[in-house]
Amino acid sequence: MSANALMSLGIRAMNANYAALQATGHNIANANTEGYSRQSVVLETNGGQFTGAGFFGKGVNVATVQRAHSEFLTREAATSKSVAAADEARSAQLTQLEKVFPLGEAGLGYAASQMFNALVDVANKPSDTSSRQVVLARAGEFASKLATAGGQIETLQRGVTEELKASVTQANMLATRVAELNQRIASATGSGQTPNDLLDQRDQAISELSAYVQVTRIDAGDGTVSLFVGGGQKLVLAGQATPLVTVPDSYDATKLQLGVNDSGSLRMLSQELLTGGSIAGLMRFQNEDLVAARNQLGQLAAAVAGSVNRQQALGLDGSQPPGSGAPLLAVGAPRVLPASGNSGGGNVSISVAEPTELQASDYELLADPSLPAGSYTLTRLSDGSTQTVSNGSVVDGMRITIGAPAPAANDRFLLQPVAMAAVSASLAMENTRGLAAASPVAATFDVDNIGTASVSALSATAVNGAAAPLTATLTFTDDVGSYSWELRDAGNALVRSGTGSWSAGNPIRSDAWTPATPAQRYDWALELNGVPRSGDVLTVGATPFPASDNGNARAMMALGEAGLVGQRTVGGTVVPGASVTDAYANMLAEIGVRVQGAELAAQQSATIADQADADLQSKVGVNLDEEAARLIQFQQSYQAAAKMLQVAQSLFDTLLQAAG
Amino acid sequence: MSLRISTRQLAESGIATLQKRQIEMSESQEQLTSGKRVARASDDPAAAARAERALAGEMRAQTSQRAVDASRTAMSLSETAMGDALELMQQAREAMVAAGNASYSDQERRNLAEKVKAIRNQLLTVANRSDGAGSYLFGGQGASTQPFADAPGGVAYRGISGERRTEEGTDLPLTVNGDGVFMTARTGNGVYETRAGAGVTAAWIDNGQVSDPAALTGSTYTLQFSVTAGATTYAVLRDGNPTAVTAAPYTSGQDITVDGMTFRVSGTPAAGDSFTVAPSSSTLSIFDTLDRAVAQLATGGRSTAQIAQGNTDALRDIDQSMAQLQGARAVAGEMLVRIEGETSRLADQKLAAQEQRASAEDLDMTEAISKFQSRQTGYDAALKSYSMVQRLSLFDYLNA
Repeated sequence: MSANALMSLGIRAMNANYAALQATGHNIANANTEGYSRQSVVLETNGGQFTGAGFFGKGVNVATVQRAHSEFLTREAATSKSVAAADEARSAQLTQLEKVFPLGEAGLGYAASQMFNALVDVANKPSDTSSRQVVLARAGEFASKLATAGGQIETLQRGVTEELKASVTQANMLATRVAELNQRIASATGSGQTPNDLLDQRDQAISELSAYVQVTRIDAGDGTVSLFVGGGQKLVLAGQATPLVTVPDSYDATKLQLGVNDSGSLRMLSQELLTGGSIAGLMRFQNEDLVAARNQLGQLAAAVAGSVNRQQALGLDGSQPPGSGAPLLAVGAPRVLPASGNSGGGNVSISVAEPTELQASDYELLADPSLPAGSYTLTRLSDGSTQTVSNGSVVDGMRITIGAPAPAANDRFLLQPVAMAAVSASLAMENTRGLAAASPVAATFDVDNIGTASVSALSATAVNGAAAPLTATLTFTDDVGSYSWELRDAGNALVRSGTGSWSAGNPIRSDAWTPATPAQRYDWALELNGVPRSGDVLTVGATPFPASDNGNARAMMALGEAGLVGQRTVGGTVVPGASVTDAYANMLAEIGVRVQGAELAAQQSATIADQADADLQSKVGVNLDEEAARLIQFQQSYQAAAKMLQVAQSLFDTLLQAAG
Repeated sequence: MSLRISTRQLAESGIATLQKRQIEMSESQEQLTSGKRVARASDDPAAAARAERALAGEMRAQTSQRAVDASRTAMSLSETAMGDALELMQQAREAMVAAGNASYSDQERRNLAEKVKAIRNQLLTVANRSDGAGSYLFGGQGASTQPFADAPGGVAYRGISGERRTEEGTDLPLTVNGDGVFMTARTGNGVYETRAGAGVTAAWIDNGQVSDPAALTGSTYTLQFSVTAGATTYAVLRDGNPTAVTAAPYTSGQDITVDGMTFRVSGTPAAGDSFTVAPSSSTLSIFDTLDRAVAQLATGGRSTAQIAQGNTDALRDIDQSMAQLQGARAVAGEMLVRIEGETSRLADQKLAAQEQRASAEDLDMTEAISKFQSRQTGYDAALKSYSMVQRLSLFDYLNA
């Protein structure tokens, strides 16, 4: 036993404790470093030396520096962060979208109903120019609110596009970083020690990447990790990163979809496969929420404009001589977008056949080769229902026209009947005289009528421009609504006659009379109040003084409360649509529910992510109190070791003195 | 609860909690400032939709009120106009009653004719009265110019019969059917009309009455007088065909009853004189009535019987016209009552809509204030506890 042994023990102990102090210092220094895992020095005994008296310890050895780590918690934290980022991104976008549909007086529903309400003054005084001016102003306001809302939706789409591009760039940068770190870790691992700080950095990069897109992480044996995205597409393999790319949507180039560029070959990542990350949230917002909002808005715009314009056309305007009313509102036309991969230049177009039956959806038309020639599969994208259509089919209020050249087999087309309606909405009329306040037909009751019948509503239902206006005389032949009718021309010559029957609540329609030909210029529907008695006579003829008639203004105003939006015909039965107010209220509520749902999801997933992060941090994070205690602990040990050296030295001195 | 706490985590969760509390406070404060519980649809989608519908209902009620106001103006102006017309007709009636005075000379009757003529012209003005905004009170379903115009054969109605009505929600009249008020009173006594034939100078027929409604036939009857040997008899023809009455003895002023109609012929009919009894029609124009009255008052040299016949006819027609006017005026009055009812209904509807909107989106102040206070307390506690916890560190003790 030499004094050397004690000296050596002391030095080892001092070194070991110094190393421990160093690790503690590193911990304290990185207490606030994102992604840092606390490190500790692993000490081990330096073995013993055999003597006759047994084994004498040779002191302490620093075995390694290790980091606190949990594979499971790290993975959990990254995954939950990914989900939270997706929910947060969608929720943030939806909050923006919600602002497109303001409540109350600022809203579209208010603007629409004010447009209809303004007609009350025209009905009160059809010849008053100022009240007509008010209607035009209100209609203009409605149109500009539609256009603004449509424009805001397009702005949101552009924002999403920009954000997607930026996110993809960031994600690619992080993926490249992971690949680089993989390489450095692999080479460092070769030395036999784990490069703790590099591992931390890689975990942090993966965690940051997860905020953009959710990845699956698989550890290779050599210290590298592989990352996969969207159900198995490789993103990082050892030192190689495969870049994500944004690809223009095959129908609409203003939209972006996501793919990976695997050494030159493009693989699409469908939105359904992207389960997390802000990119997934943005894609879902773009492909679901924005499409739904755009179509709902367009449906409202197309239904209201179509109905109002149709009613306009059925009335007489204030010009001299009075003519059929011109359109009051203009909205964007329906459009057809061929898929970019189509092999032929199929000629497909759509037009609005019945504005009130338009649905808030896009449609996909597929030239399915398994169907007979001229038949196509049409899928309503809002609910996925399919049907077979051909040229001229009318589906949900839109007429599909398929001309030559016919679409090639397997070619696809996106049909958007209403998507663009709102964004280009405008007021189509400038002159107040253009407002068709007058009905072209007027009913008069014979003064000697004894029944209580009077006109509840009389309006033209169709204009047959080529035919002459005729005067109809209805004479009731009994007390239960049977009548005979005669149509006479301007020279009072009988054109045709017949019989019909009236029942309460059902209008008398001139186009339902048989024989139906020759046509008269205005077909009309007459609703009666009260009950006609036998012998009562009523006459429906051309309005002699259109300038002071308000029949069409009344009819147009009644549209304000009619079920204009989204009427359906199911099995021959008409299911009425929603009124303008209801349609907007429903739209509001739906967006509100979406936002609420997204916010709730974002809150929940953020809580889960926070919890997962807290769990991870409690395992790997630095606690300064703990480090302070460790400082004392290792300082004391260090001091003790130093004391050992002192003792060893004094032993040595003693020996020298004794020898001296 | 985890076994360890990371210092950074502790700080960060502390900061997050503080921020959360602060956001809650600002939300509460925003609500208190705006007074609205629902500022965005997502605050309460169902309430937002309900508020939207309530707002539309409120605006609709307000709109309907405009229609009701327009109708009220039109109806009260029309009611006044019809009152004026009635007053004028009353004056005309008094003139006609005065004209019946047997002592009046032709000249005096001519003076009365002038008076009635003036009344008639005033009446035309009343009938053409405008509502002050370019449309005519009695314009019916519409008229391009004044609805009543002098035309050959008398005043003609240029409008289209019926009435213009307000929007379908209220459906109140905006005009009065001038045709019905002024042009289509019932002729005669309302059931049948008696007329002296041409050239009757010494006899006259009264307006008659219905003695047996069940016996009415709706045919046109003619009384033909003949005088044989000083005895005056009459025959009754029905639609030009002889009836059982062929030579009934005539007594002046005695009731003659034919198929439920009872009337009197007075005076001394000459042989060949005839009187017609025809069913009433709705063709009596108030202007024609006055025109005829003026014409006969202005005609000089008439026999007493002719004067009597003329006055009888004129008074009968004036009375019929006044009855028609009175009826129309009553309808307008009735309509004003309905308009009042409608106004209060709309006011209720508006109030209900406002209340509904308020209940859907307005803030319950008591609740909101107490919530704000509790959030304030929460924030305060969070600040205090954060500062206290953050102050604790082992290093502080080690320094000492």
